[in-house]
Amino acid sequence: MIKKFIHQFASPKTYLFQVNKFYNYIFFISVFIYISSIAWGLLFTPEDFVQGNSFRIIYLHVPASFISQSLYAAMAVSSIVYLVWRVKLAAYLVIAIAPIGAMTTFIALISGSIWGIPTWGTWWQWDARITSTLILFIMYLGLISFHNSFSNYEKADKLLSWLVIVGAVNIPIIKKSVDWWSTLHQSASITLTNKPSIDPSMLYPLIGSIIGFFGLILCLVLLSSKNQILIREKTKSWIKDYV
Amino acid sequence: MKIIRLEFLKLKKKTRTWLGPVLVFWLMMIAYPLTVEFLQEKLEVGFFSVLWIAILISMMLATEDIFLEDFNDGTLEQIMIKTSSFSTLVSVKILTYWIFVGIPISILSFIFSFGTTEDLALSLMIFPLSIISSYIFLNLFVMGNALSLNKGSVLGALVTMPLALPVLIVLGKSIIAIQLNINYLGFIFLLLGCLSIIIVTVPLVVSYIIKAHLE
Repeated sequence: MIKKFIHQFASPKTYLFQVNKFYNYIFFISVFIYISSIAWGLLFTPEDFVQGNSFRIIYLHVPASFISQSLYAAMAVSSIVYLVWRVKLAAYLVIAIAPIGAMTTFIALISGSIWGIPTWGTWWQWDARITSTLILFIMYLGLISFHNSFSNYEKADKLLSWLVIVGAVNIPIIKKSVDWWSTLHQSASITLTNKPSIDPSMLYPLIGSIIGFFGLILCLVLLSSKNQILIREKTKSWIKDYV
Repeated sequence: MKIIRLEFLKLKKKTRTWLGPVLVFWLMMIAYPLTVEFLQEKLEVGFFSVLWIAILISMMLATEDIFLEDFNDGTLEQIMIKTSSFSTLVSVKILTYWIFVGIPISILSFIFSFGTTEDLALSLMIFPLSIISSYIFLNLFVMGNALSLNKGSVLGALVTMPLALPVLIVLGKSIIAIQLNINYLGFIFLLLGCLSIIIVTVPLVVSYIIKAHLE
């Protein structure tokens, strides 16, 4: 049954119709969660003892950073699915995710720089976390330009998938950079193994903002993947009926 | 053995391919003191940064058309048809380039390091770092050039450049370790560990990439 579900869902046509069915729900729920969390974080959370009100950029910076790395991981998984099982929808997803990943990484870098000025006294430092995130941003741009340089889509998909898989080595480096090197950037406040080091009054809106931001980015990915399907499958008869 | 001998002879004939990067490296090392106003004892402040970047750029230049000639004359297709392993060919190519380019550049690194710092012990410690890092960079740029096989090497090199940046960071930290006399061997083992993974995975990945080009 699972195999049947995967085979059905891996069809671009089924995927497109399913996305249309659920998109509005995902979008409006995500908007509600994100706006509620932001409002909670900006208006009802107390000031930080050290940073004052400047810490509130956490509700943009942390979701953006987390999602930028997650999107690359998703690209790597999609690339493996494409190369191993030849599911072309996976290739479409890789190309759809790349620009959105670049955008979220850019937001993370800019919001981090803005946060750095009151906290560290500098908008940029070549420490491990910030440098490795910049490397991730450059990699996203490289992936987009690399794919666009090929006129043959199938070849471009295969080569891009290999490049994404190799570049995935950067994700654990970013994740662990604050533990492996002595960095200006603080270590993780929320981990799977330890109790959060952040106060609950700040933690709950942060979790809400991560979930809401994730939902909004998911909506963008769904729209982008729809676009890719329409471009790549444009000669198919079902597209003509759909459009 | 036949492949090794063949690749060795092919590269030996293409003097520009292996001599050019070595000369570029030489030029960069000579140009560095000419462009700064420091006194002799302050030259080493920026020297090692220039050294690692010069090795990076020389390896990028060395691998510019590593597969192009074989792709154009059909050699790669022949190997794909035969039973010979692609990844073996790639490994042998990288090894040959490293012997012709990487080792001379590493020797030059030692010489220039000694000339700048006048410290033999420090320069001897630089030599293994140069040897290992040149091999790592060579592997990465070979992968980049395989990706952009017939599209010009710049795109591929730029795309794989971000993967070389963590190696540069480790090299920078290793200099601090040497100067403070702490954990130098740890950095050597770290680079050797990275190299051991790269040396196995890159030829395999490159062989799949080239197969994708040829299909």
